[in-house]
Amino acid sequence: MSYLLKQLVREWRFLLRQKYLVVLLVCTFVMSGFAVYSGLSEVTQQKQTIERLKAADLTDLTNVQHKYDDAGSLAYYSFHLTYSSPSNLAFAALGERDIYPWKHRLNLLALEGQIYESDAQNAELAQAGKIDFVFVLSALAPLVIILLFHDLFASERTSGRHDLLATTAKSYFALWGARITVRFIAVIICLMLPFYVGAFISSSVLGDVGFITFICVIYLAFWTLLSVWWGKNASSAPRVASTLIGFWVLVAFIIPILGDLAINKVVHSPKGGDIVLTQREAVNGAWDIPKQITMDAFVANHPKWANYTDMQSEFEWKWYYAFQQVGDEKAAKLSHAYQDAARKKYSLAGFVSWLSPPLLLQRGLTRMAKTDAVAAFRYESQMRGFHKSLRTFYYPWLFVKGNPPKAALENMPSFSKTILNEQKKLSNVLAQPEQNLSAN
Amino acid sequence: MSINNFSKVVIVAKDEWRYWFRSKLAMTVLAIGLVLTLASVIVTAITMMELSHSRHELQTSAEQSFVDQPDRHPHRMVHYGHYAFRTPSPLSTLDPGIDAYTGNSIFLEGHRQNSAMFADSRQGTALTKLGSLTPAFIVQTLAPLLLILIGYSAISRERESQTLSYLLSQGTSGATLIAGKGLALISVVGLILIPLTVSALFTLGSGEGLLAVASFVLGYALYLTVWVLLVLLASSVFSKNSGSFTTLAFVWILLCIVIPRVASTTASTASTAVPSAGKIETDFAVKAELRKLGDGHNTNDPAFKQFKQSLLTKYNVSSIDELPVNFRGLVASESEAKLTSVLNKFAQQRMQAELNQTKVSRYFGWVSPMVAIRSLSMIVVGTSIETHHRFLRETEQLRFDFVQGLNKVHVEKLSYQDDMNRNADTAATQKARVSAQNWQILQDFTFNVDTPEVRTQRSIPAFLQLVLWIAVLLGGIKFVGRRLL
Repeated sequence: MSYLLKQLVREWRFLLRQKYLVVLLVCTFVMSGFAVYSGLSEVTQQKQTIERLKAADLTDLTNVQHKYDDAGSLAYYSFHLTYSSPSNLAFAALGERDIYPWKHRLNLLALEGQIYESDAQNAELAQAGKIDFVFVLSALAPLVIILLFHDLFASERTSGRHDLLATTAKSYFALWGARITVRFIAVIICLMLPFYVGAFISSSVLGDVGFITFICVIYLAFWTLLSVWWGKNASSAPRVASTLIGFWVLVAFIIPILGDLAINKVVHSPKGGDIVLTQREAVNGAWDIPKQITMDAFVANHPKWANYTDMQSEFEWKWYYAFQQVGDEKAAKLSHAYQDAARKKYSLAGFVSWLSPPLLLQRGLTRMAKTDAVAAFRYESQMRGFHKSLRTFYYPWLFVKGNPPKAALENMPSFSKTILNEQKKLSNVLAQPEQNLSAN
Repeated sequence: MSINNFSKVVIVAKDEWRYWFRSKLAMTVLAIGLVLTLASVIVTAITMMELSHSRHELQTSAEQSFVDQPDRHPHRMVHYGHYAFRTPSPLSTLDPGIDAYTGNSIFLEGHRQNSAMFADSRQGTALTKLGSLTPAFIVQTLAPLLLILIGYSAISRERESQTLSYLLSQGTSGATLIAGKGLALISVVGLILIPLTVSALFTLGSGEGLLAVASFVLGYALYLTVWVLLVLLASSVFSKNSGSFTTLAFVWILLCIVIPRVASTTASTASTAVPSAGKIETDFAVKAELRKLGDGHNTNDPAFKQFKQSLLTKYNVSSIDELPVNFRGLVASESEAKLTSVLNKFAQQRMQAELNQTKVSRYFGWVSPMVAIRSLSMIVVGTSIETHHRFLRETEQLRFDFVQGLNKVHVEKLSYQDDMNRNADTAATQKARVSAQNWQILQDFTFNVDTPEVRTQRSIPAFLQLVLWIAVLLGGIKFVGRRLL
């Protein structure tokens, strides 16, 4: 044991004396630290924004409820905040949150006209891409590993020490094993230390942190073994490194780019513009056709209101919201196709990423951090669900009961409550599977 | 430099090419580099032309369907609204820039400024997060790597195989040797730039200015020259091939992969100096200010009392029913104008905040030539954030013009009494309409980027950044060249 330790200590001292290795390791540490720091501040900003929006949203809603009494105007002027909070791991994988929206305000008007609005961040910065822990780990760490390990044998060979070292060392491990181990552990520490600090600050789940560590070690071990193996018999270090970097370019850039081209050729998606155009024609056309046609189309899908479609005037709110919903329903097919295409593209990309370890890692970690496209799709369906619950709330007042008393407004759906209930339901399902089955 | 010296430089350069032809690695790298550049030029050109075509078509059909609407109450058309599509600039076939990251269409209607919808990146595979097959990415990121791979040993190789002292003692000066190796690398740069230049010249046919094309090509030539100089410097400084290579690889990682992202991250998060509030958030402030203006749908809103009084005085009548024009239309027009000025004020602030952020990230061009060429390229091509802002401003003008055009129709062609009675019964609703002829007020819209002069002028800081890099590196090489041995 002490013998092994002695080898490791020797190699460790050796490492510290090689300036370029130390520079490389320090740079790795600084990069990882910067990525975690900026990830943390980005997530804090997002959380603060959501809190500010919640407060402003509530004030706005209260104002509207003071000002209007009839259900139609209330529904027209009340906007409801929906949002998707960053998870505890989001700091490490900011993911697609700069591309997909994570905040929205909705009212009872046609959803298809509202849901594609986006409150995106600065497009030029999004295009450059952000640096986050996942990026450092998946894209940069392999390069660091290549620089650290490619000349393990070649440098000794060119300086003519290789054979001497190999014959005098007690065992293979005592020399190369110890050197590899020391360098590998040093990289892991430089990379992961900032992540652990970040995880502690944002109180991530311990199990997640452990799992991410596990994945990282495997991923980096893959690149280390590749670099060591490729350089085993070589005598020219640059040659080894160029091939390895070439391989990195292949898996990080070329394969994903080709995959992207192929997927975009295979999956056809309706143009987004067509959805809103269809919806708009339907909604605006309603003003020019007899009211009964709209009402019939509405009742066909919502027979519950069949007895309440009579109109006393040329304008009534129930007709107004009915044609909004009919507009949504007319565009539903296109809208579904549009969503399906996005989902299909993302899931097909999953197959491609098996050929590209950096992307596989990115997908895996953004999935864990709930910052990927799947999380964005989920947020979209939460919004759709919430909009549905708004309709469920307003329709009885609009069609049957007339103006809601102020007390009834307390039952107005709010997005925060909706997602809270959803979580509760989910944990109930997980906790009592038998009961759930018997209930079905 | 005398003729004699120059011919020596050419001989050295030729010799370097001979070495490359014999090296499998150099030939493979060169071939891959050229194939990638060529493929990216072709693929991106096709994609962007298709986009341009389809957006043109959508624009025409949007205008057609507006004009084809039946007789209606003019205010219905204000809410029917109009669509504007951002057609990409001709040069965007070489650098699509932010095109996929911002919505490319915008819905224009009364009383609101909507954000652009349907960013293509949201329908993407998330596979191109690290890089995409665009000439911009290939030349900005991968071409430097190519130059490193074939050039890292240019001088250090001679030193390592002990031919350097021989060469120098034969009367070839250090400067000549470096210049010759440099010339060889520059000729590779020329090769890379050929497909780019040809494709850029093609855009002249679709209306691009010569100045923009020239700036674009010059920008990339300067950028790749920076890398040639870096390679020469490292190769001259280090005594071993491996030292030169490792350093260059490290510098490449830093300048091409790390700093551009550090720049954008710093600009958006770390620098709390320029936070940019989202649209939803500013909308609350907008709403608070608008509340003071009154609701343009409601003529009884107390905010319009003074307006009403001034009208009565102007036309010398005692009640609004006696006005020769439609009071509701006037209120709509008046409130739209006021509301727009508020909306524009906030929109202007948002754009300025975004621009400030972008500027922070562009400052990083002083430390990374890659950031410099990235901004230069997007600015000259017309796919930078400024172009998107221009699109937002122009569409806002379009929106305001057609809404006020409809309000004018409302004022002049629809009587106030008919208007007030519009909900009484079906016949009254029919009466409260104007002829579809009036929808012709809509102007044709084609989005054009800023003139080549404006774009080129905007890219001057980025040019300066590249020139500074070249000057510093030339100084360094001159210094090292004297002490080659």
